[in-house]
Amino acid sequence: MVEKKKTTTKKTETKKQDTKKVAPVKQEGKKQAKAAAGSTTEQKARVGVFICHCGTNIAGSMDLTAVEAYAKTIPNVAYVDNYKYMCSMPGQAVINKAINDNKLTGVVVAACSPRLHEPTFRTATKEGGLNPFRFEMANIREQNSWVHMHDQEGSTDKAKDAIRIAVAKAALLQDLFPKAVPVEKAAMVVGAGVAGMQAALDLSAAGIKTYLVESDASIGGRMSQLDKTFPTLDCSQCILTPKMVDVGREPLIELFTWSEVHEVEGYIGNFDVTIRKKARGVISMAEGEARGIVGGGCNGCGDCEGVCPVVKPNEFEMGMKPRKAIYINHPQVVPLLYTIDFNSCVKCGLCVTICGEKKAIDLEAKDEFVKVKVGTAILATGYELFPIEKKAEWGYKKFENVITGLEFERLICASGPTGGHLVRPSDGQTPKKVGFVLCAGSRDNTGIGKPYCSRFCCMYSLKHAHQIIEKIPGCTPYLFYMDIRSFGKAYEEFYYRIQDEGAKFIRGRVANILEDPKTKSLHVMTDDTLLNRPIDLEMDLVVLASAVQPSADTNRTRKLFGVSCSMDGWLLEAHPKLNPCGTTTAGVFLAGVCQGPKDIPDTVASAEGAASAASIPIHKGEVELEPYFATCIAEKCAGCGMCVNLCPYSALALVKKDGRTVMEVTEAKCKGCGTCGGFCPGGAIWMNHFATPQIVAQIDAFLLGGEQ
Amino acid sequence: MARTKGYPAALDKKLQDTKFYLDDSNPEFTKNVKAISRTTAHMCYQCGTCTGSCPSAPRSSYRIRLFMRRAVLGLENEALTDPDLWLCTTCYSCADRCPRDIIPTDVIMSMRNLAFKRDIIPVNFLKTVQAIYSSGHGVPNNDVNRAAREKLGLTRDPPTTHMYPEYIKGIQKILDHYKLKANADRIVKEREG
Ligand SMILES: Cc1cc2nc3c(=O)[nH]c(=O)nc-3n(C[C@H](O)[C@H](O)[C@H](O)COP(=O)(O)OP(=O)(O)OC[C@H]3O[C@@H](n4cnc5c(N)ncnc54)[C@H](O)[C@@H]3O)c2cc1C
Ligand code: SF4
Ligand code: SF4
Ligand code: SF4
Ligand code: SF4
Repeated sequence: MVEKKKTTTKKTETKKQDTKKVAPVKQEGKKQAKAAAGSTTEQKARVGVFICHCGTNIAGSMDLTAVEAYAKTIPNVAYVDNYKYMCSMPGQAVINKAINDNKLTGVVVAACSPRLHEPTFRTATKEGGLNPFRFEMANIREQNSWVHMHDQEGSTDKAKDAIRIAVAKAALLQDLFPKAVPVEKAAMVVGAGVAGMQAALDLSAAGIKTYLVESDASIGGRMSQLDKTFPTLDCSQCILTPKMVDVGREPLIELFTWSEVHEVEGYIGNFDVTIRKKARGVISMAEGEARGIVGGGCNGCGDCEGVCPVVKPNEFEMGMKPRKAIYINHPQVVPLLYTIDFNSCVKCGLCVTICGEKKAIDLEAKDEFVKVKVGTAILATGYELFPIEKKAEWGYKKFENVITGLEFERLICASGPTGGHLVRPSDGQTPKKVGFVLCAGSRDNTGIGKPYCSRFCCMYSLKHAHQIIEKIPGCTPYLFYMDIRSFGKAYEEFYYRIQDEGAKFIRGRVANILEDPKTKSLHVMTDDTLLNRPIDLEMDLVVLASAVQPSADTNRTRKLFGVSCSMDGWLLEAHPKLNPCGTTTAGVFLAGVCQGPKDIPDTVASAEGAASAASIPIHKGEVELEPYFATCIAEKCAGCGMCVNLCPYSALALVKKDGRTVMEVTEAKCKGCGTCGGFCPGGAIWMNHFATPQIVAQIDAFLLGGEQ
Repeated sequence: MARTKGYPAALDKKLQDTKFYLDDSNPEFTKNVKAISRTTAHMCYQCGTCTGSCPSAPRSSYRIRLFMRRAVLGLENEALTDPDLWLCTTCYSCADRCPRDIIPTDVIMSMRNLAFKRDIIPVNFLKTVQAIYSSGHGVPNNDVNRAAREKLGLTRDPPTTHMYPEYIKGIQKILDHYKLKANADRIVKEREG
């Protein structure tokens, strides 16, 4: 601290000589401001500084009396006050009154972060009669009192610096006026699992045209692979198919299956999205009609499937059932439309022949691109299983009778590969003892598995235990667990019920599994931590409740929409508690598991939240854009056009104006990133709210420092 | 004795107060174990993977997970005076599989270090020290091994201090630096006279 004081005095001396140099810059700044905004008043800056205690959050870590006394000495400061909670109604009233009583031209609040309360104080500034963009925040909480809690002197000095810098900017702020742009009355939902379907149904019910883009051949997602659903045990298909049918029938939903998002341009209210319709090789009846083929297009008869000679594993059945190169996943698909897997099709043409006059099959089909305009978008790209064979100790893909939870769902499902008979893959025998390995790959800090809890595996393992007891008399499920997380409504009661039905719970994470090479039975090794005894239990079948991870194409898709993700790849919400459906990209929202593991009730709730949030800008009809765009000072622009290529948002163009070539900004496209402003060699680009003179003044205020 | 009124003496032990009281735990112990083992010993969530992996557990009363619990709670005396502490084979199976990425083996090693500071150590471990001091090997070569090595086409002695006894001096210097040999001799003498 002592050292700092010394340099401070030295700097103050140099400041005296420097003032002259700085002053012209400031004046030029004002001229430019005038040129750019045309509405700045010439009057001398009068800044009000309002210091917040935030209870003891700030006041407890620094000497606010000293900070306040110091603020009074800063040039251009006309008024200083403090309040216990500046964001409260009385706190805001202090600002309002001071603006009027002291004819303030700018407002600085020294408090928390702009992310938290900038909107609050902008409103307060506006209510006091000033343009809201004449407000500047000095963060003395997150970046100061909270991190320097035990350094009273240091944090007091730092708060003085922060306020001096904010005042320097506030003195040069100008009036800005946000632009309102119209919002396209259409939305897009990416991913048609239960989340995407619910969001699309809600949006369309609210009268909004919705494009639903699904990468698979059918909608439905993971839920259509499930047999029953906890805790009520309704049949998954029975509750899902009505929704799928509704989606298929709703005139306001335009469905793009076997498709993906290829390119996204624009911003909230006006996203231009290019959809890639992957070559499917089969046309729908509607497409048939459009091509003038009377009664043509695929009617789902399945004749082609009968003749196709190529056999492949069916992914929907987790590879446990065959399919042809031309196929549908299961009988309830929506749309009922066949698809050719061109990676395995040998183009023999047999399907084309049998399809005959319907002319539904086109072996030369190519990818098609469709461009649509939407106001808002929801990502609902769901999840996939973590490749659990990476945890080699449990023997998945090595021992035949070790399966995953999703494979169990298909095996126990009446429409699955075994007609609902749970059997051992090794010999088709009905198991008598089934082990369930919970937290398989979840809650794992080794770097191989996932550090998080996958959230629905406890509950579905309980469900699986129930299904076994119900379907196979005399078969006992053993659940190897660390904790049973039955947190939802009626979940703990479900746990009670399954234990009562006879499931055995062993508190111990499975150390490893060994296979008896003769019987293919499995020895599950762990520690019964409650007995404090190592155990070796022989099971006929073992089900791994594998961890889940974001679906494969999530990362590419999220980047197109400018959405961030957390370290483990789940898409990042705007705020984990207060804005779980929003993202930091205005107009883009999240639904379902793509944001983090969720069971169906939570997925549907999140989808309805996202749909509601996504419909708000559309119903309002217009959105305000932050007026932080670049402007070209035509007299200074040499028309070199170098900035045009630098802009990442294609917001700039060269135009003819008064016989000269100059740059012009499309304000709605500009995101205010400053790339062009920082670059322009002639200083012809003025970045509103982050203008060069404003920033230079802040830097000067920091470097010159000291008592003013 | 009077309390048991003719019941076997073992009952006396069974009637002891075995509650865990706050002053049983020494937070410094948790810190020391972490510092010596250089692993996150305080992060164990008691899943049982280690005991489930441990080749010693099914053959003895040794439970690595119990020692991990003692590390977390700072139960110093309980950990250091339990003779099971010396039943780990240092195979590192638990370390391979611990989902919290802890190295339980190194936790055991750190506890053995701390126990040794209090002269708590089985004599056979001290005899190993003496063997290393005199031969450079904890388990010196013998004729059976030599014959087996010959059969495999190897030299009768491995290229260690067995083949180059002149390096034993170096090993002795290291052991002397840590006073390991002196302490071993002292304790063996105290125990065996
Ligand atoms: C074995 C098992 C059993 C379960 N049992 C239950 C239960 O009983 N009860 C319960 O409440 N929950 C259960 N769950 C959880 C349930 O599966 C999920 O909550 C639910 O499926 C989440 O739906 P979603 O729409 O978010 O994701 P998903 O179902 O994964 O749907 C995502 C959709 O998006 C598509 N997609 C992915 N990426 C893209 C892209 N880039 N572009 C376009 N489309 C894309 C996918 O093809 C898919 O159709 C279980 C989970 C498992 C693994
Ligand atoms: S052309 Fe392809 S899809 Fe059609 S029958 Fe032959 S292999 Fe199957
Ligand atoms: S839900 Fe249960 S089984 Fe799944 S990771 Fe969480 S605790 Fe483990
Ligand atoms: S494996 Fe690791 S986390 Fe699990 S009980 Fe052992 S030391 Fe603790
Ligand atoms: S290193 Fe020790 S505690 Fe760990 S598994 Fe091997 S014998 Fe058991």
